[in-house]
Amino acid sequence: MKKHLKWNTKCKLCFLPSLIGTAVFFVVPYMRVLYYSLIDNQFRRNFVWFDNYIKTLTNKYFLLSLKNSLLLIAIAVPILMVLALVISLALSYGIKWVRKTRFAFVLPMVIPTASIVLIWRSVFADSSTALPIYLLFIWKNIGICIVLLTAAFTSIEGSVFEAARLDGANSLILHTKITIPMVAPTVFFTALLSIVNSFKIFKESYLFYGTNYPPDHSYTLQYYMNNNFLKLDYQSLATSAVLTSILVFGIVMSGIFIQRRFDR
Amino acid sequence: MRKINAVFFAILALIFVLPVAATMVFSFRVDGGFSLQGYADLLFDCFVFYPMFWNSVLYAAAITIVQLAVIVPCAFGFSQAKFRGKGALFVFYIILMMMPLQVTILPNYIGLRDMGLIDTPWGIILPMIFSPFGVVVMHQYMKNIVNSVIEATRIETNSIFRVIFTGVIPQIRICIFAVVLFVFADCWNMVEQPMLFLKNDGLKTLPVFITNAQGYTGEVLFPAAVIFLIPVLILYLFFNENLEKGLTLGDLS
Repeated sequence: MKKHLKWNTKCKLCFLPSLIGTAVFFVVPYMRVLYYSLIDNQFRRNFVWFDNYIKTLTNKYFLLSLKNSLLLIAIAVPILMVLALVISLALSYGIKWVRKTRFAFVLPMVIPTASIVLIWRSVFADSSTALPIYLLFIWKNIGICIVLLTAAFTSIEGSVFEAARLDGANSLILHTKITIPMVAPTVFFTALLSIVNSFKIFKESYLFYGTNYPPDHSYTLQYYMNNNFLKLDYQSLATSAVLTSILVFGIVMSGIFIQRRFDR
Repeated sequence: MRKINAVFFAILALIFVLPVAATMVFSFRVDGGFSLQGYADLLFDCFVFYPMFWNSVLYAAAITIVQLAVIVPCAFGFSQAKFRGKGALFVFYIILMMMPLQVTILPNYIGLRDMGLIDTPWGIILPMIFSPFGVVVMHQYMKNIVNSVIEATRIETNSIFRVIFTGVIPQIRICIFAVVLFVFADCWNMVEQPMLFLKNDGLKTLPVFITNAQGYTGEVLFPAAVIFLIPVLILYLFFNENLEKGLTLGDLS
């Protein structure tokens, strides 16, 4: 019994490096960020409750960046998901020749944005919409979606299909009764990940435009924050960080909640 | 029908590699003809390129290696330790993994500022070491490892490090390869951290070079982009087969 207890303590100690690091670089400073978002400025430190939040939520640029983020989710994420699903299906069940194309679809995932943005700049030199950024988002994110989806498709055992086929099921029934229910959680998680990744689009946009002041249609949250970083405006920074974290927290928690209900 | 399918996906695949291929082709083109002038300008005349390339390598390699030393024990702890609140702690890691830089960069900055690490290489390296992605992925993967091997090594030794080295790591090799590729590519692609945490040009990385490269003489832009993507391309060639098996993230419930 004593040995077991000791082993369990040792296993708990394995968490320490990760927990300390996460606490030092995220959790503790996040509390300070929360505090900064509730005071008027670094020196006077008067408690102003939600004044900063009201200021941020009515700020023209904050709202613009929020609108652009939501547009990206509404337009680019569905296209990304459909494309990723079609390609993953082909990679999982297609003929050998089709499977070889996997290399091309997963490759963009590791290619650094700074390398690829030059081509984008020469092709879309005078674009007046956010289209180049949407394309860059889809190009860069399809790899991880395909990796997760094909892993789910190919993990379905062949024997399940064989048994169903012996019972007289055709390929439509096979997919609606077996494939879809078995991969649904992964499809759902991939969609969730893509939504969250759409908040990370700043790098692509920044390197594409090469400035802190892009056209309005591509102004995203990180620009808002970067510009406040340069001004050292901690209150605006802290407030938008807290608001974004609440938004992402809400999306992820409802995602986990839905996935767990779906499982039952 | 099969032929149409194959042709369709071949074309689609071509479209997806086209940006990379075009970048490579353009790097050999100066004034409309084939030339190595761009590479010569970059490698012999542009001396800021080398330190920045070296910085990129140093940061990405240091982060990837040290991160493994942090996440493998942590994921092992998740799979073996028994305590209340473990599920909640894992959900915390998942949420942290999903947080965009807009959320994490200010806490990172404040943590670094208070320790006086702004404008040092540590400012780039330390926060990235504790990125939660690897912990989540490895914990998912460890659900499927064989426990009897761990039990067997525990009879032989009392050291938890030896159990991890001989009983766990051989079983999660594929996952480690996938995580190395993913984390390295992620660090290699860092733009915001060098931009916001570093002032000294001597510490900056290649993406910063490419952003400012209009200021340098010669056709160095495309050659720099190509040289910049070669290290990740090599890692990709080695490890990409492990991605599907290693990143089993789909079902988190």
